[in-house]
Amino acid sequence: MAFACIFVPDFPVEAILRAEPDLRSQALALLEGKPPQQKVFAINEKARCAGLDAGMTKLQAEACPGLALRCRSTAQESAAHAALLDCAQSFSPRVEDTAPDTVVLDITGTEHLFGPPAKIARDLARRASDLGLEANVAVASNPDAAMLAARGYSGVSVIASGEEEERLGHLPLHVLLACLSEITPERAAELSDMFDRWGLRNLRSLTALPALAVSERMGQEGLRLQKLSRGAVVRTLVPVDSPLIFEESIELEYPLILLEPLAFLLGRLLDQVCSRLASRALATQELHLKLELETGIHLDEDQDSPQTPEIPDYNEDDETETGSPPPLQTAEHATRVSFFSRTLRLPVAMLDAKVFLKLLQLDLKAHPPGAPIKKIWLSAQPARARAAQGGLFIPPSPEPEKLELTMARIAGIVGEGRLGSIELLDTHRPEGFLLQHFNPIDAERSNSKPVAQDSAASAVTALRIFRPALRATVTLRDGKPAHLACLKKKEISGDVIWQAGPWRSSGDWWEPYAWARDEWDIALQTSNGVVLYRLVRDLLSGQWLVEGTYD
Amino acid sequence: MSCCASVPKIRKSVNSARPRSSPIEYVELHARSAFSFLEGASLPEDMVSTCATLDLPAMALLDRDGLYGAPRFHMAADKAGIQAHIGAEVTFCETDLQIAGLSNFRIEEFKPGPAVDRAHNSSIRKSDNSTISPRLPLLVSSRLGYQNLCRLITGMKLRAQKNEGAVCEAELQEHASGLICLTGGPEGPLAAALARGGFEEAQRCVDSLIGIFGHDNVFVELQRHFLRDEEYRNQAAIEIARSLHLPLLATNGVSYAGSQHRELCDVFTALRHHCTLATAGRLLARNSERHLKTSQQMRQLFADLPEAISKTVELSSRLEFELSDLGYQFPKYPVPEGETLMSFLRRRTHEGFRERYGRAGSDLQQRAWRQIERELTLIQKLELAGYFLIVWDLVRFCREQNILVQGRGSAANSAVCYSLGITAVDPISMELLFERFLSEERGEWPDIDLDLPSGDQRERVIQHVYQSYGERGAAMTANVITYRGRLAAREMGKALGFEPETLERLSAVVGSWEYRDEHDSFDRRFRDAGLDLCHPRLRKYFELCEAVQNLPRHLGQHSGGMVICQGQLDSVVPLEPASMPGRVVVQWDKDDCADLGIIKVDLLGLGMMAVLEDSIELIRKDYGEEVSLAHLPADDPAVYATLQKADTIGMFQVESRAQMSCLPRLRPQRFYDIVVQVAIIRPGPIVGQMVNPFLQRRQGREPVSYPHPSLEPVLARTLGVPLFQEQLLRIAMIAANFTGGEAEELRRAMGFKRSQARMKEIEAKLRAGMERNGIAPAAQEQIILSITSFALYGFPESHAASFALLAYASAFLKEHYLAAFTAALLNNQPMGFYHPATIVKDAQRHGLKIRPIDVMKSDWLCTLEPVSSFEFKVSGEKNHTHIQATQPPLRLGLRYVRGLREEAGQSLVRARTEAPFTSIHDIAHRVPELRKDELNTLAAIGALNSVSSNGDPVPRHQVSDDQNHACIPSSGNLQLETRILFSRTSKLHRRDALWQVERAVRYSGPLLEELSELDSPSPLQPMNHEERLVADFHGTGMTVGPHPMAYRRGQMESMGVRRASDLRKLPNGQRTRIAGCVIVRQRPGTAKGFVFLSLEDETGVANAIISPDMFQKNRLLLVSEKFVMVEGVLQNLDNVISVKADCITPLSITQAETTSHNFH
Repeated sequence: MAFACIFVPDFPVEAILRAEPDLRSQALALLEGKPPQQKVFAINEKARCAGLDAGMTKLQAEACPGLALRCRSTAQESAAHAALLDCAQSFSPRVEDTAPDTVVLDITGTEHLFGPPAKIARDLARRASDLGLEANVAVASNPDAAMLAARGYSGVSVIASGEEEERLGHLPLHVLLACLSEITPERAAELSDMFDRWGLRNLRSLTALPALAVSERMGQEGLRLQKLSRGAVVRTLVPVDSPLIFEESIELEYPLILLEPLAFLLGRLLDQVCSRLASRALATQELHLKLELETGIHLDEDQDSPQTPEIPDYNEDDETETGSPPPLQTAEHATRVSFFSRTLRLPVAMLDAKVFLKLLQLDLKAHPPGAPIKKIWLSAQPARARAAQGGLFIPPSPEPEKLELTMARIAGIVGEGRLGSIELLDTHRPEGFLLQHFNPIDAERSNSKPVAQDSAASAVTALRIFRPALRATVTLRDGKPAHLACLKKKEISGDVIWQAGPWRSSGDWWEPYAWARDEWDIALQTSNGVVLYRLVRDLLSGQWLVEGTYD
Repeated sequence: MSCCASVPKIRKSVNSARPRSSPIEYVELHARSAFSFLEGASLPEDMVSTCATLDLPAMALLDRDGLYGAPRFHMAADKAGIQAHIGAEVTFCETDLQIAGLSNFRIEEFKPGPAVDRAHNSSIRKSDNSTISPRLPLLVSSRLGYQNLCRLITGMKLRAQKNEGAVCEAELQEHASGLICLTGGPEGPLAAALARGGFEEAQRCVDSLIGIFGHDNVFVELQRHFLRDEEYRNQAAIEIARSLHLPLLATNGVSYAGSQHRELCDVFTALRHHCTLATAGRLLARNSERHLKTSQQMRQLFADLPEAISKTVELSSRLEFELSDLGYQFPKYPVPEGETLMSFLRRRTHEGFRERYGRAGSDLQQRAWRQIERELTLIQKLELAGYFLIVWDLVRFCREQNILVQGRGSAANSAVCYSLGITAVDPISMELLFERFLSEERGEWPDIDLDLPSGDQRERVIQHVYQSYGERGAAMTANVITYRGRLAAREMGKALGFEPETLERLSAVVGSWEYRDEHDSFDRRFRDAGLDLCHPRLRKYFELCEAVQNLPRHLGQHSGGMVICQGQLDSVVPLEPASMPGRVVVQWDKDDCADLGIIKVDLLGLGMMAVLEDSIELIRKDYGEEVSLAHLPADDPAVYATLQKADTIGMFQVESRAQMSCLPRLRPQRFYDIVVQVAIIRPGPIVGQMVNPFLQRRQGREPVSYPHPSLEPVLARTLGVPLFQEQLLRIAMIAANFTGGEAEELRRAMGFKRSQARMKEIEAKLRAGMERNGIAPAAQEQIILSITSFALYGFPESHAASFALLAYASAFLKEHYLAAFTAALLNNQPMGFYHPATIVKDAQRHGLKIRPIDVMKSDWLCTLEPVSSFEFKVSGEKNHTHIQATQPPLRLGLRYVRGLREEAGQSLVRARTEAPFTSIHDIAHRVPELRKDELNTLAAIGALNSVSSNGDPVPRHQVSDDQNHACIPSSGNLQLETRILFSRTSKLHRRDALWQVERAVRYSGPLLEELSELDSPSPLQPMNHEERLVADFHGTGMTVGPHPMAYRRGQMESMGVRRASDLRKLPNGQRTRIAGCVIVRQRPGTAKGFVFLSLEDETGVANAIISPDMFQKNRLLLVSEKFVMVEGVLQNLDNVISVKADCITPLSITQAETTSHNFH
C-alpha cells in the first residue's frame, strides 16, 4: 500500500500567486474584510521575514516597503483547489479531498504506469508546479503518515514502510494538530496547551509516553494521537465523488447572428440537460449559459457576486458589480474576454425545458450578446425537484414557472430592478423602501402578519406621488410659499391660498447621503379650481419640488 | 442643649439680575440636560450660556427622574444672572391614575399618527415587552415643593431597580404641594392618554391631574417641532385646555443647547436602545428642533396662540424657589443632660489637650492653649460644635473597633482636631495655618477627611454612619462618570456600528501617556492604530468623540464622601440606591454638595493604612511584639539612612522614581524633611521650578533669599522657596494684605475649577495690595508666578505632614519588620508604584526569605512562617545576613495564583485544615471547587510539588529542586544557588504534578473514582530554568527564584553590561551599559517629553533617561520590549544615578511574561 499527499503551504497566497506568478519574488499579503476594516489574512514567507503578521490592518501592512497587497479571492482558491484535485486525479482515480490545501491519493499499483513512489512524488510536485502551485509531496504507507510528512517536510519526501515512527518523530506537535480535521480549533488549542505544559516538543516525545497512562489522561483520543504520531494508523481513504455535472455544448460551423436559430439550438441543449436531470430525479434552480463570441465585446460574469448574495436576482451580469476588482480579475478578463455568459436563477427548482427556453429568450432579448456566436455551453446546477401539494381550501396560486415567465416579461418592459415587492425600511427618510424579488409565499406570509393600525386609521386623504417629483419655482412671503410655478406641468401653477407647514425632517447625518427637507401642504388656486399639493424643499440643495397631490 | 447648627450662608448671586434691554417675552420651562442620562446632549452650563446668548431671562431644568444637574445649573445661572427654575420629569405609573385600567401599553400604540416621532417617546424603555411609562413634568414653586419633589424621587428610586422606578398616584397626592404640573410633550401623560384612548381619555387624564395638583397648578403644554403628528396632539390639547379652562403653556421640550447637538442626541438614543445609528431607524429624532430658541422664534411658532407664550413669563414669576434656599441642617450631636454642644466639645478638647500637650514644654503648652481657645471661640461663633463632635465620635468609634484612623487635609491645621484625636500632626509645633481650615469669612463648612484602611474596615465605618443617622439621614456623595478617553471612544464606535475588534483597537488608541507631544495628535494616533481618518465614517467618529467629552454618562458612587443631615436628607436632595448593597447615594457629586453648603465627611480608604494595620497585626502574631503607630520612635537613624539612600520601594509616597531621585539630594534628617519631601515632588513645585532652588539652597550651593523681606517669616522654613499652599496664602496675606478668607478664595480660584475671569480679578487685587505695600515689580512677578504655577496642584503643609507621618511609619516598619511589612504590602495589592514582582525582588535583596506558593502551607493571603532550624546562608552583605537571622520567612499566598478564584482557594485551605492532602488526586477529590485550569496552574507554578502520597509533607531534604530554588535569597550568586538547587533529590517536580493533575481531574466513573494513583514520578522531563520562569510569571506574575537577568549575567558581562549595584562605584560622565527588565515606564506631564525607564536586574534597579528624540526613534521598542539594554553616559549627581541613553537595544532574556507599570 502506498499513499501520496500533496500539501500547499500558505494556500490562499499560492492561489493568488498562481494567477500572478510575477509576485513570487516579493513579499505578498492578502487582505480580508470590508474597507476601512481590512486586515491581513495570509502572507507568504517573504512577508513573514519582513515582519508582517496575519491580523495587521491594511495601513500597518502598507508601512512595509515593497509589499504587494491583494484581496483574498475565494474564487481563485476554489480554482486552485480544483487544480490540485486535477493534479492528483491525473495520477490516481482514488483521490481524497482532505482539505482545501491538502489532497491524498492512493498510488498503490500505479508503479507500472508512473514508476516507483519516489518518482511519482517528484512528478506530482512538478505537475503541481506546472499548475502554478508550489506544493510539498510525501509518500508513505498510510494516508495519515503521508499527510504528516507533507505538512512537516518541505519539498518531496518518501517514507519507506517501517520507518514512519523514526521519520515522523522529529516533527513538531503542531503539525500533528493541524492534520486533525475531526477536532475543533478550540480542542486543538487545548491539546497544544497541554502538550506545552507537559514539555512535549515533537511527535517522538508523545509516542514515548506510556500508553496506559496516556489513556488514563486523554482517553482514546490520546491513544489515537500516539498512533498517528508513530505513523501507524491504517484507515480507508475516502475518495472524492466525481461531481454531478450537467453540461452540454455545441460548436457551430458558422457564427450565429440571430436569436431565433440560437433559440432552436438552446432548446435542443435544454432538452438534453433536462432529460439527464430527469433520469436522476433532479431539477435545477440555476442555469448557466456561456457563449463564445467571434469578437469579444461583453465580459463574462462573476458567478458568485459577493455583493448580492441575499437577493435572489433573476439575472445579473458582471456590470452590476461595484468596486475595483483585484488585479488578478483583470488578468482573467483579458484571457476570457471573448466569452459571454448569463445565469438564470429561479426561485424554485424546476424541470421544464420550454419554460427555460422562454426565460433564456427573454433574457437574451434584454441582454443581447452583441457579437456572432461560435460556441454554446449550457450547464445546469442540479437541485432536488420541488414537491408541493395544494391545499383543498386554499385558492390555487399561479404556477411558479408561469409567474417567473410573467415577471420576466414585465421586467423586459419596465426594466430590471423596477419589479418586485416592496419592503418598508425603518427610517424617517422619505420613500425609504427596498425592492425585493416577488415571491408569493413570502407575500402570503407577510399578509398573515397583523398589520399595525398605522395609516389606515388616521389617514383621511390619499397622496398621489409624482415620480419623479416635479421641480418648481416658488415665491415666498413671510417665509411661506405664496406662489408656485411648475415648468414641466403648466397646470400646476398659481397662487397659494392656504398652506400648512413646514414639516421638517432630516437624517442619516453620519452617512454620505445625509438629507434634510421641509414639507408644506398647500392649496393652489389653479385654472381648474383649488387643488392640494405637497410641496417639498430640499434644505441641502435649496431646490423646490412638488412631490404629490392630495385626493 | 443648643439649637442645631444652621448652614452658613452660601455665596450670594454675583450678578443677581442681568441688565435687560427689552421686556421679558418668553421663558423656556421644559428643558433637559445631559443629566437626563443618554437623553439630553448638553451640559447645564452650556444651556445657561446659550440662554444668556439668546437673551432668555430664565429657564427651567427638568431632568429625568432626578435633580442631578440642578446644582451645576443653579451655579452657572447664578453667575450668568439667569433665573434657574428647578424641576424634574417624573416617571409615573398610570394604573394608579386610574385611567381606564391601563398600566402599560405597547410602544406601537403610543403613536398618534402614521409617522410618529418615536425618538422622544423613548424616554421610555423599549425592551422585549416594549412597555413604557409616561413622564410628568413637575416644576418647583416653593421650598415645600422642592422638598416634596426630592421625597417623591427618593421614594421611587429606593424601592426600584436602577432606572426602573415610577411614582404612583397616592405618592403624587401626598407630595403635590408646591409643585406645578405640565401635561408634557410626546412622552407626557396627555400624549400617552391621547394615543391610548383618544380625546376623551386625554381629557380624563388632565382632569385627574387637576384632582392631584389643583386647578391653578396644571398647565396644558404645547410643543412645536415642525412635526405633523405633534400638531394633531396640540389641537387636541388646545381643545382640552379650553374645555377645562386651563391655561396653555408653550415650551420647546429642549434636549440640547444648539441644533448641532442633535447628532449626539441621536447617538445617545441609539446607545439607550442598544442599537446602532443605522439600525435605530425611527427611534432617532425626526429633526433637529429641540434646541433652545429665542423669544422671537418661539413667538413666531406660536403666532396663533400668543397667550401660550405670555403664560411662560407669568408662570416663571410664580416659581419662587431657588436652590440656594435648600433648608439643609447638620445633625445635632446628642450630649448628656446639662451640657450644651459647645460645653461638651470644650470639655473633650481640654481632655485631649492634656493628653497631647501634657508633657510638652510650657511655651508650647501656652501657645497650644491660646490657639485652642481661639479656635473654640470661632467654632462657637459659627455654631460648628456639632460637626466637630460628630467627627470626634466617628474617630472614637474607629479607636474602639481597633480601626486605624487619621485625619488628613486642612483639618490637620486645627489644634482642636489634634486635641480631639482626629488628626495626628501637632499644628502648633509645626506652625500650621488655621485659616486654611476654618475662616469666618468663607462661609463654608470646614473639610475634615479621615483616612481609613481600605477594604472591610472602611466599610464598617460607613455602615456605622448609616446606622447612626438612618437610611435617609446619611448617604454617599455621587461620582458623575463622564465621557472621556476610552469610554467615549468605545461608545461612539458602538453607535456607529464598528466591529468589537475595531472598537478594541479604537479605544486602545486613546492612549494613556500623561505627556503628549506635538506629534501626539488624534490623527497620528489613529494612523498608528492602522485607521484611516480620511474615511468619512472615521472622521465622523472622531468628531463625535470630541463632542461627547465631559458629558455625563451615569452616576457612580464617590469613594468616600458622606453627607449627613439633621432629619431627612431626602428632603434636601434625592437619594438613590448605589450598586453596592447597603449603600445609598445622593444625586450630587461632592463639588455640588460643597457648592450648596452641604457638609460632608470624607471617609477615604488608603491602601497604606491597611498595610500598616495588617503589618501591626502580623508583628503582634508572628514577632510577638506590640507596635503602636502613635508611639513609634521619633527619629530612628536607620529610617533616615534608608531614605537618604533612596532605598524606598514599597514606602508610602516616597517610592516613585521622581521621589527616589530627589531623596539623595534632600537627604532627610528629621521629620520635617519628610514633610518637605512628600510635598516637593508635585506638579505645582515642579512646574513652578521650585524644586531645584530649594535643593540647591539646602545643599548650601545657593544663598537663601526672599522675594521681599516681609516674607521671611513665612518662607524661612523652606529656605525662601514656597512649597506649601499655606505659604502662598500667607504670602498673599502679608504682601497684599489679604484676609484669611480672601487668601482661601485665591486658592479656590486657582484650583482645578479655575476660571480665567475670577483669577484675573484676584490677581489684580493681589497686585494692588502688593503695590500698596511697596513690593518691587520684579518681586511681584515672582510671587504671581509661583502662585500661578501652584494652581496646577500642590500640597497643603498639613496634608503633607499627615502623609509624612504615614511615610515615616511605612519606612520604620519596612526597616525593622521587613517580613511583616512585605506580607502586608503584598496582601493589599494593587497599590503603590511597583508591581508585586518588584516588591518581592526588593525584599529578597534585603535578605528576606520568600517561599513559593505551596498548597500544603500557603493560605489565601501571604503569611509569615516560623524561622526553621534549617537555614543556609548565602554570602552577602552583612546587614542582610543579620536581617535573615531575625526575619521570619514569608510564604506567598494563594491570592497570587492567577485565575484561582478566592472561593476555590479558601476551600482548599479549609480542606487542608481538616486533614493534610495525601495526593493530587486527594486534592481534586476533596476540593471539588477547584477547576482543571486552576489545578493546572497550581501544578505549573510548583505549588503541588510537596504533596506527598503518604500524607506527610515531603521532607525538606526531598523537596524538589524547582520548589526549593525559590527559597534562595537572590543574591546574584547564581553558581552557588544552582549548586544548592540541584544538590537536592526531588520527589515530585512540576511536570510530575501536571501529569498527575491531568489524571486526577478526568472523570473515571463511579467504579474507579475512589482509586487514587500514587503520586509517582512521571515520564515527563523536569522543567528547565527558562520553563520555570515562564510558568512562574504566567501563573503568579513573579518569581521567587533567581531574577531572569541572573541566568544571563555571564553573557551580559561579556557584553560589558554593568550591574545596577555597580553603578554607584562609577564616576560621573563615564559611558556605560545597563540592562534589565523594564519595570516602570514613565512619561510625566511635567517632563517635557522625556521618558524614564527603570530597569531591574538581580542586584537592584537602574534608571535610564530617554530624550524625546530618542523616544520618537525607538518608540515601538520602548513601549513593547520587556528587556532592554541601554548605553549612554552615566550621570551621578549627588548619588542620584541614571544613564542618559543614546543607544537602546532589545534583549532576548526570557519568554516569561514580565510586566511593568507604565505611564504614571
